[in-house]
Amino acid sequence: MTEKDQNNPEISKIKDFVKDGRIDDAVNIIALYLGDSTQDDYLERMEDILEMLLSLHGGRTVLRFLIEQLIIDIPSLLENLSKRDSVLRYSFLLLLKTSCENECDLFLPHSEDLLNSDDPNIREAILQLIIFMAGGEAEIDYESLINKIAFTLADEKEFVVEKAIQALISIGKKHPLWVTKSVTNITKEYPENQELKNAVDSVLKSIVTVEKIEEIREETPSEEELIEKEETEITDKEFELKKKELEIKKKKIELEEKENELEEKIILEKEKTLKLKEEIHEKETTVPTEADIIPKKVQKQLKKEESNIIDKEIELKKKDLEIKKKKLDLELKEREIEEMVIEEKEKTLKIKEELIEKESELSQAEIELKQKIIKEKEQKIIENEIKRAVEEFMVPDDKEKDEENKKEKN
Amino acid sequence: MPLQPEHIDKFLEEEIDTKIKTELLELLKKRIDNLCFKECEIDRIQCTLTPLCTRRTLLKLRLLNGLTIEDQPKFCYSVHKNIIFRDFRNKTVIYKPNDAYLYLVDFFDVFFHGDYRKLNKFFSKQDFKGAKKIFDDRINNREEDFQYLLTKNKNFMIFKYDDKIHVCFISENYALCNANRENITNLEMLYGLCKLFARIYFPEVKLSLNHSNCVEIKSIIPKDALLKISKTSPTNEDSKSDNYIWNVFPGELDALSQFCKEINIYIDSKENLAIKLNIGVVPEVRMNKSSNALLRYRDLRLVFNILYRLYNDFYILHV
Repeated sequence: MTEKDQNNPEISKIKDFVKDGRIDDAVNIIALYLGDSTQDDYLERMEDILEMLLSLHGGRTVLRFLIEQLIIDIPSLLENLSKRDSVLRYSFLLLLKTSCENECDLFLPHSEDLLNSDDPNIREAILQLIIFMAGGEAEIDYESLINKIAFTLADEKEFVVEKAIQALISIGKKHPLWVTKSVTNITKEYPENQELKNAVDSVLKSIVTVEKIEEIREETPSEEELIEKEETEITDKEFELKKKELEIKKKKIELEEKENELEEKIILEKEKTLKLKEEIHEKETTVPTEADIIPKKVQKQLKKEESNIIDKEIELKKKDLEIKKKKLDLELKEREIEEMVIEEKEKTLKIKEELIEKESELSQAEIELKQKIIKEKEQKIIENEIKRAVEEFMVPDDKEKDEENKKEKN
Repeated sequence: MPLQPEHIDKFLEEEIDTKIKTELLELLKKRIDNLCFKECEIDRIQCTLTPLCTRRTLLKLRLLNGLTIEDQPKFCYSVHKNIIFRDFRNKTVIYKPNDAYLYLVDFFDVFFHGDYRKLNKFFSKQDFKGAKKIFDDRINNREEDFQYLLTKNKNFMIFKYDDKIHVCFISENYALCNANRENITNLEMLYGLCKLFARIYFPEVKLSLNHSNCVEIKSIIPKDALLKISKTSPTNEDSKSDNYIWNVFPGELDALSQFCKEINIYIDSKENLAIKLNIGVVPEVRMNKSSNALLRYRDLRLVFNILYRLYNDFYILHV
């Protein structure tokens, strides 16, 4: 901060507000102060504010508010810094160190996007912030972010690679398994990149210790364990499917009960209407003269009741149709579920078949190995026997020859 | 006891066999190169904020030995230049870039940004008139506040910004920025510095080069001022000048004696008190010592401060 800035009335006002605990006022003034800046002096003002805030008690809360309320926008700040000299850029990053360590949730959401930036300075800067974050109390346990960082090990700029190594080392101290996993995956993607291999080596050398190897081994499942896991997953799914089947059956029963109730109601209604009709008929037949006597109002009421009954009948028919539709839907769903179950079963069968095949392959390989060993042993025995035979045959021949020679001499 | 740096130093001093010496020095060279180009520069943040050599001394090592910018670790040098630039603009810096060396073209780029190509051309062709035009234009028309002086034999150009001194070593093609603890190695430069300071702070003090490789500075306390000084030790209520002469001046004379080859104090023909200082590149206090330490810029500044006080309090105020 220059002397001019120290005498700046706005800066001293902000200082006073922060000291008095008037955080919101301080945030508002800073927003205005930064808003008034031109493109040229924006960073200078920002630098003054950051320096001032970090030296004050309560300054960090103001900084948090500023970032939360997007008055300080991390991505655009890093982009601006990239255009400036390295001293300013790295001094700025250093200013953000404590915030990164204590409040990494402000920075982590931007990390993956910034790692994709075209500008190597931005990539380097965010990696440095990640290093600061990993050094803090919070844990960086986003697998996708770790994979992204591992991907920057193949960056074209050496200084970005160096930062990526450092970032992975610092994350790897807490999560060695994830880092080793993502780093080894990257090497598989670029098998011919020697520089990448070197970078990965240096990461692994730093995070994998003798104690951690066991941890990693414990955490990394073997093939058998994987198969077991898959099997348990399949059984779990089967179990869930069975549960669903039961639920469907329950629903079916409930629906049937409802249908029955409705049918009973319909029957009752029909009976009522029939009774009414019979009564009317009786009245018409027994007292024909009375029909003429029946007032028009009653006739109208009767007609109304008749029409109501017909409407109800229609409604009941509609409900019948709806119930039938639902039944059909349920049947369709059941079929789908059954198909799913069949597919799952097929899958498990395939896996089992594969397992059996692998086992048979293994057993075949074992048999072949044993056969080879037996053949080798047989050959050895045959060779030994031949040797012995040759020796046995050779020795008496030689003796005979010697005796013949002696005789000739004599 | 493990091997200590002193052991190597002693060994290099005593060992006559050049082959062994070169082997040892080659080892050191490899280590330095590795430190600069691999260990330090690969992590740019580390190189910027916490370089692996104190104040980038290894840049100075290369620069003073005539190596070009191509032989320097580029990123480290760019940071070094930036720090000097930021300090010049009163911006926050990681460390104060005192006694920092730059190649001449970069010095001009930092301090005279718009004209650095022209200045570099003028200096390389020793066309100081063209350079002078640029400097004067900046002082008179662009409100830039600095003074400059080209030394007698045109080997050095000295710039003074407030209390900061920068020296261009023209034939060596480099510049020393914020000179402080570095040694003044040359009488021509010493005389130039004295002239520049005298021009700004004590213009009526006489300066000359004497035959014993010294700069002679002659200041006076006029007769009138001398007569006003109390003849007895002053009490608290007495004037400041009395207090100075009786209480402070002896101590300052003692300080001057450390950096001057000779100090003459006498009453001249006009009854003024004349104070004549002879300053050489090798100060008196270090002459008899085995070390080959020379007069430093900060020592000279101390001498000038004392002279300025004498001149201001006892000459200007009375004359």
